[in-house]
Amino acid sequence: MKRQRAAPIVSRAKGLAAEIRWLLSISLSAILLFPESSAPADVSQGAQIAATCASCHDPTGGGQAIPPIASLDEQAIVKAMLAFRASESPSHVMHAVALSLSDDELAATARYLADRASAGRQP
Amino acid sequence: MTDWTRRQIGGLAGGALLAVAAPHIVRGRGRAKVVVIGGGIGGATVARYLGDMKSIDVTLLEPNSTHVTCFFSNLYLAGLRSLASLSFGLETLAEDHGITIIRDSAVAIDSGGKAVELRGGTKLPYDRLVVAPGIAFKFGEIEGYDEAAAKIMPHAWIAGPQSELLRRQLESMEDGGVFVIAAPPNPFRCPPAPYERASLVAYYFKQFKPKSKILIVDAKDQFSGQELFQDAWSRHYPGMIEWLPSHFTGAIKAVDVAARSVVTEGETFRAAVTNFIPAQKAGLIGEKAGLTDASGWCPVDPVTFESTLQPGIHVVGDSIIGGDMPKSAFSANSQAKACAFAIAASLTGSPQFPPHLFNSCYTFLAPDDAFTNALTFAPEGGRIKTVKMFISKVGESAEVRRRTAHHAMGWYSAFTADVFGGGS
Repeated sequence: MKRQRAAPIVSRAKGLAAEIRWLLSISLSAILLFPESSAPADVSQGAQIAATCASCHDPTGGGQAIPPIASLDEQAIVKAMLAFRASESPSHVMHAVALSLSDDELAATARYLADRASAGRQP
Repeated sequence: MTDWTRRQIGGLAGGALLAVAAPHIVRGRGRAKVVVIGGGIGGATVARYLGDMKSIDVTLLEPNSTHVTCFFSNLYLAGLRSLASLSFGLETLAEDHGITIIRDSAVAIDSGGKAVELRGGTKLPYDRLVVAPGIAFKFGEIEGYDEAAAKIMPHAWIAGPQSELLRRQLESMEDGGVFVIAAPPNPFRCPPAPYERASLVAYYFKQFKPKSKILIVDAKDQFSGQELFQDAWSRHYPGMIEWLPSHFTGAIKAVDVAARSVVTEGETFRAAVTNFIPAQKAGLIGEKAGLTDASGWCPVDPVTFESTLQPGIHVVGDSIIGGDMPKSAFSANSQAKACAFAIAASLTGSPQFPPHLFNSCYTFLAPDDAFTNALTFAPEGGRIKTVKMFISKVGESAEVRRRTAHHAMGWYSAFTADVFGGGS
C-alpha cells in the first residue's frame, strides 16, 4: 500500500514497478541462498542509501540535536526530502543529500526506512 | 548456514541464478572471509557493515583496545571535553555485529597467497582484505623533526597520548606565551583542523591566559574555510591569532627542539609551546604492502575502493588518494559503506549500485559558534569528483551558528554509534 502512495509523489511509477520486480527477484535469491535463521541484512538499494542516513541520524530514533527519522512514514520522508531538495535552507547538509538522490533512489530509501520502522526492526 | 556444500547447492533449482548471485558459495568454500586491518573510522565501519550482512566472516585487526577520535579532539585541547568522552572500544562490534576482533598488528600481506601475517606470527587467510591504516608522518622532511622531537613538540594529529601531551603543555604555559602551530602541506588529515585548533585554543587562552598569542606558520598560502575562520578570529579573538602563509615566511625549514624554535627561510620563531603538524602519507602497512604510489598514498577504484595496484585488497579512509574527497572521518565512513557493499556484491552476489559518497564536517570557531559544509561526490573517469558543495557563510546569525554547534554534538553521538556500534 505504501508503495502505491509513494509512486505518484515522485512521478516515477514505472521506475518503481521495475524496481519492485527487481527487489522481488533479489528476495527470491535471498530465500534460496539463506533459508536458515541467520538471514542476511537487507542489501536493497534503499538499504544501501539509508546506510548514509545513519552517519548523522541515530537509527534508534534517539539523539538530541539531529532530528530523528526512525519513526517517519514513507510519505513524510519523501515530502521532507523534496522540500530539502528545493531549498538550501534550513539545512545545506540535507539539501546536498536530497540533490544527490534520483526520484527512484529517494522512493527506495523512504520505503526501506518506513518499512523498517513499521517492522520495529533495527538496521 | 556455515557449511554450504556443493551437494546442498546442487540440490536447489536455479543453479544459474545462484552462480551469478553467490560465486563464492557456489565454489563450495563455505563462508567468505574478510580481514580488515585497522580499527579506526574507515576500518570499523567496513567491519560493522559487513558483519551486519551475516553472510561473511569478518575479522578486524587492531592493536589498540581503544580508539580516540581525532574529530572533536580540539575540544579536548580547549578543556571543553574529556578524552574519555572521545574514546571508543571495539567490544560492541564483536558482541552485536558478529565481528572477530584480534588485538594485533599486521606485519606483512601475502597478496598472492591471500593471507595477512600478524606480529605474533599467525597467518590469517582472506578472500578480500580491507586496509584502513590512516596516516603516517613524513618524519625527516623537516630538519630536526623526528619521532623523538614529537615528544617535545607534539603533532597531536593522531588523538591520544599526543593530545594529552599538548594539553599539558598548554595548561602549564605562562600567560603571555607564544603558541606556534606549524600547519602541514596538502594533502593531510582533516583540512580545517589546524585552524579549528587555533580557534579553540584561543578560546582557552582568552579565559585563562589572555596575553598569549597564537602563530600559525603555514606550509600553504590558503586553507580550508579561510574566510569563515578569519571572520571568527576577528570577532572572538581580536589580535590573538596571526596566520603566516608560506609566501610570507618561506615555510618551515627546520625545528630546534632544544631552543623550542621553528625556523623558516627568513625568520626564527621562538615558542613557549609548538604544535608541529608534519607532512603526511598513507599508514605504513600501505607502503609495505605495495598499495602506495609515488605520492605516498593509495590509489583506488572509486566505486569499489579496491586498490588499483593490488587486486583483492581494498583501501578506505585517510590513506587513499585519487579524487576530491577530503581526508575526514565522514569521508572514511562514507567510503567504507560503499566498499562494504562492493565486497558483499563480489563475495555473495548481493546487488551493487552506484555509490553515494558524502562528506560533511562540523567545525568549531568557539563553543557556541560552529560552521558546517556538505559535499557530494561521484565516480568519474576513475576518480572521485565533487558534484555539489555547500558551506556555511560569513555573516550568518549567532542563532544559526549556535544551532550548528548543537547539531555537531548530536552528530558526534550518532556518527560514533554508526561506526563503533551501540545506540543502533
